Amino acid sequence: MKVKVVTHILEANDRIAAENRKLFQETGVYVINIMSAPGAGKTSLIERTIRELSGKLKIGVIEGDIAGTDDAKRIAKLGIPVVQINTGGACHLDANMINEVMADLPLKDLDLLIIENVGNLVCPAEFKVGENIKVMLLSIAEGDDKPLKYPLMFQESSALLLNKIDLLPYTNASIEKIKKNSLSLNPKLKIFEVSCKTGEGINKWVEWLQSLIK
Amino acid sequence: MHEVSIAQSLLKIALDNCKKEGYKGIEEIKVKIGRASGIMPDALLFAFDAVKIGTIAEKAFLTIDEIPVSGFCESCNSNFTVEEAFILSCPKCGNISIRIDTGHELHIYEMDVF
Repeated sequence: MKVKVVTHILEANDRIAAENRKLFQETGVYVINIMSAPGAGKTSLIERTIRELSGKLKIGVIEGDIAGTDDAKRIAKLGIPVVQINTGGACHLDANMINEVMADLPLKDLDLLIIENVGNLVCPAEFKVGENIKVMLLSIAEGDDKPLKYPLMFQESSALLLNKIDLLPYTNASIEKIKKNSLSLNPKLKIFEVSCKTGEGINKWVEWLQSLIK
Repeated sequence: MHEVSIAQSLLKIALDNCKKEGYKGIEEIKVKIGRASGIMPDALLFAFDAVKIGTIAEKAFLTIDEIPVSGFCESCNSNFTVEEAFILSCPKCGNISIRIDTGHELHIYEMDVF
């Protein structure tokens, strides 16, 4: 006997993501989901962002890693509420993982929640977790051929931060090539050139972020 | 990627449906997988055969309808269908003002049960 079912296979994740999103909206928290390859500078970007917004916005952080608590410890040093998720093997965060730790953060007191996803240029882009926007980092040291090799993450993100621009004199990477190919995948992508090490360009990123939260 | 977790999710949807409606067994599950969904049909079949063991879907076939990427070009006003998973420009005129209509499907649409 044939029966019609018609259900999206990732419906369970998307349903939980929608529940998360609803709670974030009710508590007035703007949520960004930061993604990149391992070592591109996500945690450093979060540290810089927290420092720039100190006294202006109340920030909370969810850290996602397969194992370890190094990233959460770095954020905790800045006096910011932070929760560390250890996926134990999963290569990305999903809506259920975020749902399980939301109660550990003082959401009613926060203006901005930063979710640092697992370092991975592939999988995090496929899963909604309840965020307002996805933001990705690409470091200069990774090479300028990455947009066309990993299109989905570039297509799903609202902003792209090109990090480690202080290394430009030491690499063959072309910022123009990265920008051209990224914009061909996603014409609305907002691109920022930054160095989390020197602080260059961070103010423009933070200004844009603040404009979204208002 | 994640064909195993996709297989587990689709199996759960099918089994939950059977439990709710009182079906005793599943003979076939039909899914639509778009070529731009990132899911490899062969890997999904392999994963499904592994996760269905010990359930009422144990003898079920998974039938995959692969949906190609198709869309419309706002520049030359024509429809197109391509073989690739990702395209950046209209295959006819090369313009980037394109709208993608199909190719991202990831859903179950029918089951054969008893």
